[in-house]
Amino acid sequence: MRNLLLLIARFGSTILFVFLEVICFFLIINYNRSQKEIWAHSANLFTGSVNSKVQSTSDYFYLESVNDSLLTENAKLLAEIINYRIYSKNNEYQDFETQDSILQEYDFVPSRICGKTVNLRNNYITLCRGAKDSIQAGMGVISSDGIVGIVKNVSDNYAQVMTILHGQSQISSSIMSNDFHGTLVWEGEDARKMSLITLPKHAKIAYGDTIVTSGYSTVFPFGIQIGTISDFEIDGGGNSYKVDIDLFNDISNLSHVYVVKSKFVEEKEEIISEADQ
Amino acid sequence: MKFPWLSIFIRFVILVLLQVVIFKRIEFTTGIFAYTQFFVYPIWIMLMPIRIPKPLILIGAFIMGLVIDMFYDSLGVHAATLVFMAFIRDFILNLVEPEVGYDPNISFNLKKIGLLWYASYIGIFLLIHLFVYFSVEAFSFVYMEEILISTVMSLIFSSLLMIILILIFNPKY
Repeated sequence: MRNLLLLIARFGSTILFVFLEVICFFLIINYNRSQKEIWAHSANLFTGSVNSKVQSTSDYFYLESVNDSLLTENAKLLAEIINYRIYSKNNEYQDFETQDSILQEYDFVPSRICGKTVNLRNNYITLCRGAKDSIQAGMGVISSDGIVGIVKNVSDNYAQVMTILHGQSQISSSIMSNDFHGTLVWEGEDARKMSLITLPKHAKIAYGDTIVTSGYSTVFPFGIQIGTISDFEIDGGGNSYKVDIDLFNDISNLSHVYVVKSKFVEEKEEIISEADQ
Repeated sequence: MKFPWLSIFIRFVILVLLQVVIFKRIEFTTGIFAYTQFFVYPIWIMLMPIRIPKPLILIGAFIMGLVIDMFYDSLGVHAATLVFMAFIRDFILNLVEPEVGYDPNISFNLKKIGLLWYASYIGIFLLIHLFVYFSVEAFSFVYMEEILISTVMSLIFSSLLMIILILIFNPKY
């Protein structure tokens, strides 16, 4: 109490000054139109900027769940687009009025990437989802920009993916404009370049042509874009082109992928293996 | 120490009347002179006895500011300015202190302290007063140009006016 009195004795006039000025500014803001408007506007500017900062910060905390829901949504849209694309390709010359029975051949499971290598000769990716999310060995894995690889091993919660950057990876792919068909392999130099081999030498190709998956296997659906032709030559003494391709996607900075689930794997494989016998 | 309360009160009334009846109505209309406003009431705070307790001068400034504001229809603007000036009056007095110091008993006697001292005191005090006043009135430094022009123009005319008043009334304290 004594300290308080001392404080008042010492700074009393300053406290009174501040008190009176506060009253004055209260009056100014409440009883003068132009100042009131300026005050309201400035206060809004200030609180507005604080609010938006708080909002953007809290958004950051919800980023993960937002990401997850966006991934799920993306997977649904992707399935819709691809199934529709396959349907329209298969029924190119039919009437499109009976669209209600589009065959839902493909389904997509979104997943985060838990680990990966890109600088080895044989590169693998580990997904954070496994058998619990109905991922099985042999399924294809794509990203938003292109193809990623094929699932090799599956545990309950994880899956190992052999990427297209792998010595044994062979992806059946074709040229988008004319359907000439070849095999996509990686020669082990650049994570952004691959080669298309066994492309017949009478095929019409040009620089910049787009390469897509052929859809001949059950691993990848038809028409997923892979990359563009950057260079081509005929193999010495061979019967086919060797085409260099610039990939659309960059596996080294991927963080989310979609696992391709085909409903007719067994049926399709059955008929292929019957033919082999 | 005895304060001349009566003459302080009479000054209050006269200055408020001068301000709101006469000088509020004087306006220039041409060019840069249109920014001019005449201020006489701050001289009330200027002429307060040197040893007056600070809380009293602050409350006095607040009351005078509010009265002026009521006539000017700008509640709070003059009061805020005048309270601020009352608060920093001591600093200004120190700034213009004559070499022999102030005589607290006769305060600001024109004969003793000289017209030059009055001119510099009024000049500095008014400069700060006007700048603060126009800033609070505009309420935003976006209007800096207008604030400065108004301050300079009003400073010229108001300080002349105040010096004339001092010469005419020749206050003893």
